[in-house]
Amino acid sequence: MKLTKKTTMVLSFTLGAMLLATTAIADIAAKSGYDQLKDALKFTAAQCSDNLKSFTMDISYDVKDNGKTLSFMNQTEKCDRTKTAREETTSEQTINGNNYSRQTYFDKATYIRLSNDDPTYYVTEYTQERKDMAFSNPFKENNADDAEKIADAIVGNLKDNVVVTENPDGSKVLSGSLTEVQIPSLINALASFEMKQQFNGQQDNNLPHLSKDVFVKTIDGTAKINKDGVMESILGSAVVSGKDEQGTVHAITIEVLAKLTNINSTVVTKPDLSGKKVVKNVIKNENSGPEISNPQEFMGKFKNDILITKDGKFVKVGERIIEITQIDQTSATGRYYEVYKTGFDQYATTKRDFSFTATKSKDKNSPEYKFRTDAGINEAFFLDEHAGKIYLNESTTFSEGGIIFDSTFSPDLE
Amino acid sequence: MEPIIEIKNLTKQYENGRGIKNINLEISEGDIFGFLGPNGAGKTTAMKLMTGLIHPDYGDVKIFGHSITEDYERAMAKVGCLIEIAEAYAYLSAFDNLKQLARFYPDVDYQRIDEVLELTGMSKYKHEKPKKFSLGMKQRLGLAAAILSRPKVVILDEPLNGLDVEGMIDIRKLIQKLADEEKTTFFISSHLIHDVELTCNRIGVIYNGEILNVESTKTILRNYATLENYFVSEVERNGRLSSSVG
Amino acid sequence: MAVFQAALVNELEKLYKKKKALAALLLSLAVIVIGQIIIVGVRSGFGLRTAGSMEFPMLVLSVVVNTILPLFTALVTIDSFSGEFAHNNMRITLTRPVSRLKIFAAKITAISIFILATLLLLLFFSIMAGFIFNTNSATLDSFVRTVFSYIVSLFPMVVLALGIVLLTNLLKSGISVFFVSILIFLGLKVLGVFFSQYSSILMTTQLDWYNLFLMKSFPLAKIMRQFLIMLGSSIMLFTAGFYLFDKKEL
Repeated sequence: MKLTKKTTMVLSFTLGAMLLATTAIADIAAKSGYDQLKDALKFTAAQCSDNLKSFTMDISYDVKDNGKTLSFMNQTEKCDRTKTAREETTSEQTINGNNYSRQTYFDKATYIRLSNDDPTYYVTEYTQERKDMAFSNPFKENNADDAEKIADAIVGNLKDNVVVTENPDGSKVLSGSLTEVQIPSLINALASFEMKQQFNGQQDNNLPHLSKDVFVKTIDGTAKINKDGVMESILGSAVVSGKDEQGTVHAITIEVLAKLTNINSTVVTKPDLSGKKVVKNVIKNENSGPEISNPQEFMGKFKNDILITKDGKFVKVGERIIEITQIDQTSATGRYYEVYKTGFDQYATTKRDFSFTATKSKDKNSPEYKFRTDAGINEAFFLDEHAGKIYLNESTTFSEGGIIFDSTFSPDLE
Repeated sequence: MEPIIEIKNLTKQYENGRGIKNINLEISEGDIFGFLGPNGAGKTTAMKLMTGLIHPDYGDVKIFGHSITEDYERAMAKVGCLIEIAEAYAYLSAFDNLKQLARFYPDVDYQRIDEVLELTGMSKYKHEKPKKFSLGMKQRLGLAAAILSRPKVVILDEPLNGLDVEGMIDIRKLIQKLADEEKTTFFISSHLIHDVELTCNRIGVIYNGEILNVESTKTILRNYATLENYFVSEVERNGRLSSSVG
Repeated sequence: MAVFQAALVNELEKLYKKKKALAALLLSLAVIVIGQIIIVGVRSGFGLRTAGSMEFPMLVLSVVVNTILPLFTALVTIDSFSGEFAHNNMRITLTRPVSRLKIFAAKITAISIFILATLLLLLFFSIMAGFIFNTNSATLDSFVRTVFSYIVSLFPMVVLALGIVLLTNLLKSGISVFFVSILIFLGLKVLGVFFSQYSSILMTTQLDWYNLFLMKSFPLAKIMRQFLIMLGSSIMLFTAGFYLFDKKEL
């Protein structure tokens, strides 16, 4: 009997462990609808950025109050990865009733923009080829993993609300629907509060003013996944109910739809600019901020005026000159000197004249050239390719004798 | 006659080296068995083993032929016990404490609870909570709990602990009464030699975890002037005289 | 069976006499009252509906299953085991003609009954409060789902209780059991966030499993899996807890 007691315990423990292990494995293996949705989104994004030759993505949303449209946006995005070109057409009506439409075109060397309120085509040409402009995978962005974890945590137990219907041809429909009982109260309260802020009566008068009993009534979603696993469309809608001051019930419907069509058959065409009014702008690349692509431009003389104030006016007493005799991506040599006009020699007490050999900062994107003066002081100058200027960063700034200090040097092209 | 309690090769060793070794005992009906030994001799260990509070390393205890380790419920069915300090739920009244226990015995009703409270002199504290009880009162309540089910066997560990002289006399009388009227068998441990001499009709001496001898009180008193003399000589005979007797 | 019943009645009587039940009742009522005050406040202050008559019980449930209910469960469980070990009260029952298995089972049954009673109490009062103070949004469907959600919340709570029982038999002092329980509880909560794909095996995520019963599409397969996971853990925890309880020397 003693043995059987022990055996019973071992048996029951083993039984429990096996039951737990097998169902746990089955449960982890059985992907919830939410996980399938996530997988499909990731797969679709990867396909769009890496595999599909071309595709058209339609993204639209609209907001309706008891069936009357308050705001909408339609955006068609055509991507051609073979040409690495993208075309976007957007039209929207904001919640305040303003209409906008916009057309943009991107490829490696060009960016063209046309808005509804201005017939001018703004063209930006890049001298340096840009990165692939067609489509970048949002799941490959930094922080995407963290964002996913946060989303998982928020969705929590609602995961299983996504129902998967598989069609015989291998395509799938994922759908989910939450009514007020299923929506966690906190999420409902936060969303309602946000909506109430949107419709607080301070905007246009034809908008409903929700003041009482605001709550999220339903949230629905449907996604269609084709047999290759690419998500062809995803539709989400939410209904928020609330009452205005007069007690009229408003059902605000928000719908968001994204569609992926014309896979591998989308054609992106560059707008024909002939005969159109064009404003053209040429830059190195889109973030041509500090980076210098061609330091050679800075060979030669740069100068600024030495000014003083006298009798309430600026008076030029001379010039500061930087003369660059050699410059490349690693170093620069040259001379700094000051020239005073005759009659203003008394200001030349602090006159400086030195040669320098500067080395460019190791940071590739930094336009800083550092050097050390004969007096042993560390100084530096910066090249601004955009503005065509040199900024001298002197560690000793002085404006003795009423001299106004100026560290910006412009090219002396005369 | 079949022994009521049968202890065979009972062994339990604690890590500190204390415990009991190979105890064999047989208790027959009508015995008031005195389990005599100094503090730390293993009396409580033996009694805890007998009532299943701890489990033996070897050996077994059978009460009415049922093994305590294998068939606990049947072995304990006709046993009442009080081990070490009498415990009671501090938040339940004396009556409710006994009511809890009464549920385990189909034939114990509220009238019986009143009866045992009367027997142990606890009637007037019936509705008071043991929180405020003195050690002696707790001991009386513990005794009431032990005899509640009209057990055939009562196992008492140091039943006179914390009792005043009056209490000791009361309890001794109660034990005599139950033994005479209901033929209850008692297994009582004590380190008080005088008390054992007065109460018990058979005496077993335990010393350092081993039983030295078992003899009837009559036989002992025939050969020795007092039980104390017997105890000392028993211990001496086994070459382990200790000053801790008493 | 009669012996088990006696042991169970004893355990329930102890719970009741210790005013545990009363404390639970008062705290539950406090939760409902405070919750209702907050809701009325939010409603008049922010103009949100916050909770309709049927959402209020769900709101209460979503809060209590992660807060006061585990807390009550822990306190009652620790009291029933650690407390009785500490006061040597365990001996009172253990020297009676009742096997340790029956006492162990009776204690766990009593704790389960206590949890169920608290849940039903919360359900009743939150429904009442919901109807009295909030906009009516009840349908038969939502009513049935609400009642169901409360009742099924018993299962994960029992798993939790069994886990704490195991701890009370492992650790000596009730206070250390309490703190270890809280630490484990919080730890599992955090794990559930970071490893959400494995969260179904964590006790803390199981507490929210009533949500499965609220879905429009009744996810039977998922419910079965989750139930079997809880059943498996219960059997393991019960056996392990009893093994220690049976070995215990008093």
